[in-house]
Amino acid sequence: MEYGNTAIIFMVVAVVSCVLALSFFGVYYLNKIVDQNAPEGGSVRKT
Amino acid sequence: MHLIPQSSSHFHLLVSIFPSIGLIFVLGFYATAFAADNEPMKRSCLVLFAILGLLAIPTYVSGDRSMAVLSQDAKISQDLMTTHFGWGITSLALLVLTGATALIELWRSRRAERLSNDALHLVLGLAIVSLALMAIAGEIGWEINHHELRLDPATQRTPQAWSHAHIILNHFPTVGFVFALVVYIAALVMNNVVMKRASLVLFVICAILGVPTYVTGAASMWALTGVPGISRAVINAHRDMALLTLFGLAFTGVTAWIELWRFRHLGRFSNRSLYLVVAFAIITLGVMAETGHRGGQINHPEIRVAIDALPTDPKAGWSPAIESLINHVIWFVPWQTVHFFGFSLIFGTALAVSLRVLGFWKSMPFSAVHRILPLGVFGVVMNVFSGMLILFADSSRYLNATTFAPKIALITIGAIAVLYFSLSERLWTVKAGEDAPMSAKWVAAVVLLSWAGVIMGGRLISYV
Repeated sequence: MEYGNTAIIFMVVAVVSCVLALSFFGVYYLNKIVDQNAPEGGSVRKT
Repeated sequence: MHLIPQSSSHFHLLVSIFPSIGLIFVLGFYATAFAADNEPMKRSCLVLFAILGLLAIPTYVSGDRSMAVLSQDAKISQDLMTTHFGWGITSLALLVLTGATALIELWRSRRAERLSNDALHLVLGLAIVSLALMAIAGEIGWEINHHELRLDPATQRTPQAWSHAHIILNHFPTVGFVFALVVYIAALVMNNVVMKRASLVLFVICAILGVPTYVTGAASMWALTGVPGISRAVINAHRDMALLTLFGLAFTGVTAWIELWRFRHLGRFSNRSLYLVVAFAIITLGVMAETGHRGGQINHPEIRVAIDALPTDPKAGWSPAIESLINHVIWFVPWQTVHFFGFSLIFGTALAVSLRVLGFWKSMPFSAVHRILPLGVFGVVMNVFSGMLILFADSSRYLNATTFAPKIALITIGAIAVLYFSLSERLWTVKAGEDAPMSAKWVAAVVLLSWAGVIMGGRLISYV
């Protein structure tokens, strides 16, 4: 089956956006957990 | 498919990998117990040595009966079997001695209330010598059934070294998970932090080893294609389960690594996450057991029983379907693009963390750069899956490329080295303005060079 350029570009943007969004959210969420549960009033910057 | 062995040959295949490969993992835990000077962990390892010593008995008995069965097969070399028996019995005898010494020390220390360093070192020495002998016995043992290792390399579609590596490597994640799970559950019961961290590390290492195991498996498929007596349909059934195993290893490994990363910042574990690791590990171990069993059926006709309904359609299953799908440009190009983004994340993170360790940006404490590590780990996950899909597209070509093997080896080295950043106590205490210890600088250099090599190896595949 032949695919048009528009379809290929759409798939690239869609797949990459989903994967990157998941990764960035994961990093944001993990750092948020660390901030919220950090000893001494929520600051791990002292360590 | 039957997982419970119904013959001595089948039982020998299963039980014999524990004294050999298992000994490596127990030695790893034992070394960690010495490094951390953790008495409960040393005692747990002595119990494991004793269990391995006991396992030497069924290994010997099943091996002896297996020899009697295999002697009737004209394709099996009697000389190889006799040599394997000689090395095997010597190594098993030494393992029994190791287990007995461990048991005596455990019994003695109950009265003395402390472990004797001399006895602990004696167990260590005996175990190392047993392992060396086991390696020889194991290598000869694998050659008994794997005729493809003796085929003319000119007639095979992938290098022999790949198949050989797969036969050895595939046991590491499986046996490693058993030992990691046993020590992990013991650690949860005993509430021992060092044991929890050590078993989480082993889960991560097993997950990383899943990558070269999967890749070498794809190469073994090509090496066995066309060999008389080997069914491509049985190979594909094994590949399908191997795909699920890769997912299971990734889920367990990433969850375990996140817990190690979080522990570094907070100094404590989350109980919910710890039990999530147990759940993932048990499911993954079940999938791996089935994968191993299907793999064993490819080349071990002696373990088949009458009720086994082996697959016959070489085009059935997920793997051939994914192969067909990923060869369409609309699926290949997006995942190839994801692969490039993954490398950017990995190398960007490795560069930032390694440069701080090497002495750049000293105004930041190490704990600040440690925060970005999950970005690199997510990059690794992205690339394992996108890389696996890309490999599906044209595995024979990739596996024969000169730079592909070094690339896979460097992925393994680079990923394991990154673990150091979340484990080293000295590195964690490096504050703003302070220099990192020299050992950390060496690790940072290894991390940077490995991931640079991975990217270069990948780009050169198309041209060298």
